[in-house]
Amino acid sequence: MQMDFHYYATYCAAFIAGYSHEESLDIAYSAQFVDHCTRTLLSKIKGPLNAATTQMQLEMMDSRTDSLGLQDITRIWSPFHFLPRDLYAVKEKKCSKQYLNKYRLICGPNGDLVEKTVELAKGRPLQSVGIAMHVLADTWAHANFAGTPSLVINNTNYVFYELFPDGEGYKEKQIKFVHRTSVPDDLDNSVYTNSLYQRSENTIMNLGHGRAGHLPDYSFARYRYLPAWGDYEEIVKDNPSDYMKAFTQMIYAMKFIRGEHDAFTKDTYDTDAVEPWLSRIKEIIEKRQLIASDDWKAFGEELSGKTITDYSMDTYFDEYTNSPEEEKDDTFLGRFFLGATVHKGMVIDEIFRSGNMLAGFSKKKD
Amino acid sequence: MTVYQRIKRILFSLCMLAVALFFFFNPSDPAYKIVVAILSLGLIIAGIKDIVFYFTMARHMVGGKMILIQGVIIFDFAIITGSLANVPKIYILLYLIGVHAFSGAVEILRAREAKNTVAGPWKMKFFHGAVNIILAIACLVFIRQSNTALIIYSLGLMYSAAVRLIDAFRKTAFVVIE
Repeated sequence: MQMDFHYYATYCAAFIAGYSHEESLDIAYSAQFVDHCTRTLLSKIKGPLNAATTQMQLEMMDSRTDSLGLQDITRIWSPFHFLPRDLYAVKEKKCSKQYLNKYRLICGPNGDLVEKTVELAKGRPLQSVGIAMHVLADTWAHANFAGTPSLVINNTNYVFYELFPDGEGYKEKQIKFVHRTSVPDDLDNSVYTNSLYQRSENTIMNLGHGRAGHLPDYSFARYRYLPAWGDYEEIVKDNPSDYMKAFTQMIYAMKFIRGEHDAFTKDTYDTDAVEPWLSRIKEIIEKRQLIASDDWKAFGEELSGKTITDYSMDTYFDEYTNSPEEEKDDTFLGRFFLGATVHKGMVIDEIFRSGNMLAGFSKKKD
Repeated sequence: MTVYQRIKRILFSLCMLAVALFFFFNPSDPAYKIVVAILSLGLIIAGIKDIVFYFTMARHMVGGKMILIQGVIIFDFAIITGSLANVPKIYILLYLIGVHAFSGAVEILRAREAKNTVAGPWKMKFFHGAVNIILAIACLVFIRQSNTALIIYSLGLMYSAAVRLIDAFRKTAFVVIE
C-alpha cells in the first residue's frame, strides 16, 4: 500500500472509528511513518536502530544474504509489511523443513498474528495504533507474498493478467513487466515495473512482492497470476474488494482498541460504519490512478470538516533530537520507536517459537 | 546464531586466514594451481548446491526445473575450469583488474548517492570503493610480477575472513519488550 491508504485512508478510518481529528492525524502519521523509518534515518536522528520498520533501496542493496543477513531482512519486512498468515501451515505434498519455513511466512489477512498485533496496540499510545493499522492493511495488499527473500515463494512468471470489468465478467490483458524504476507505471497499457528475475533463492530481488511490481499496492488492480508456491494453481487478486475489507477491518480494530468491543474477532468488518459513504469509498478505491491521496484527503476533510495536513516525514524530528536523553521516550517519535520495537519483538518471538529460525532468536528482556 | 554456527564460523574464518597468509608469504606456481583448484571446487559446490536446492525447495516452485538444469550446467563449467590450470596469469590479472575497478567505481558512486540524497552513512562505502580501486591499480602496476594475482587473491581472502570473524561475535538475539 502507498501513502494514499496508509496516511489518508487511515485518517478516515480512525475518524469514523471515533478518534478526534488530532488523534486521527497522529495515527495516520504513525501508520505512514512505518514506510519511512529506516536505519539510515534512525542514524541521522540518533534513534534506536532496532526500531527500523523498513529499509531503503540503498540499504537493501547492501544487505547480506547469509543467514544473519536474511534474519535481519526478515525481522523488518515480516513484522511490518508481510505479516505471516499461518506460522504452522502445512503443505499437502511432502516438503523439506527449509521450504516449509519460508512457506509459513507467506502473508495474508485474518491470521493469528493480526489478532495479536491489534491486541498489543490496545492500551498503548496512538503511535502503536498507527503501526498496527499499517500492518493490518498490508496483510490485505501484500497477501500471498512473504517478507523474506525467496525465489521459491515470491517469484512470478509470464502468467500475469490484469482484469477489467466487462459486463457481468472481466476481460483480460497480459501485463508487461519492465525494470525501469525511473519511469512511472503505464496504467493505460498495463506496463508495470518489477524487480529483476534472479535465480538465487535469497537475493533481495526476491523479497516480498517485488516480482509483481507495485500491482498489490494499487487499490484499483484486479489480476490473476501464478504464484511460485501455488502448485500451478492460479490466484485471482481482487484489490478493490480487499482494500474495502482492509478499510472496514481497520475501523473495527480501532473501535476495539477504543474499548467499543470486548474482543477483536478475526474476519469481522465494520461495514455498517461506512454505509453512508459506501459508493464514495468504492469510487476512490476503483479509480485507476497512480496514487489516490487527493481523493482520500478530500473525503477525510469532508468527514471531519478539518484540514488534513499533508504528510511530512520530518514533522517530529526536531522534538526528538532536541529532547534530553531521559525524555526522548516521551516524545512522539520516542513512543513510535518503542511501539515498533514491541511489535517487532512480538512477531519475531512468535516466529522463533514456531520453530522457524528465519527471523533468528528472541529472548525476553530481564 | 547458535553456538554451533558461531564455532563453525570462527573455524572457517581461521582456516581462510591461514590459507590466505600461506599464499601471501609463499606465492608460487603450485600455490597458483591450488587457487585454480579452489575456484573449480567452488563452482562444483555451487552446481551441487543448485541441484540440492532443486530437490529440497525448487521442485515445489512453478518453473523450478530450470534450477536443476542450471545446476547441471554449472557443474559442467566447474569441471572445465578445473582443466584450465595452465591459463597465462595475465588473463587472471586482467580479470581481477576488471572486477576490482568495476566494484570500486560502483561503491564510490553509491557512497556519493548516499551522501547526497539521504545524508546517510557513506564513509564505509567510500572506503570499500577506494580499497577496490587501489587493488585494481596494484594489479595494473604489478602486472609483470608473476605472483600479483595470488597476492591480491590472498588479500581478498584475508578481508573476507576478518569480516566473518567479526560477525561470529555479534549479538544476534532480538530482545523482546512487553
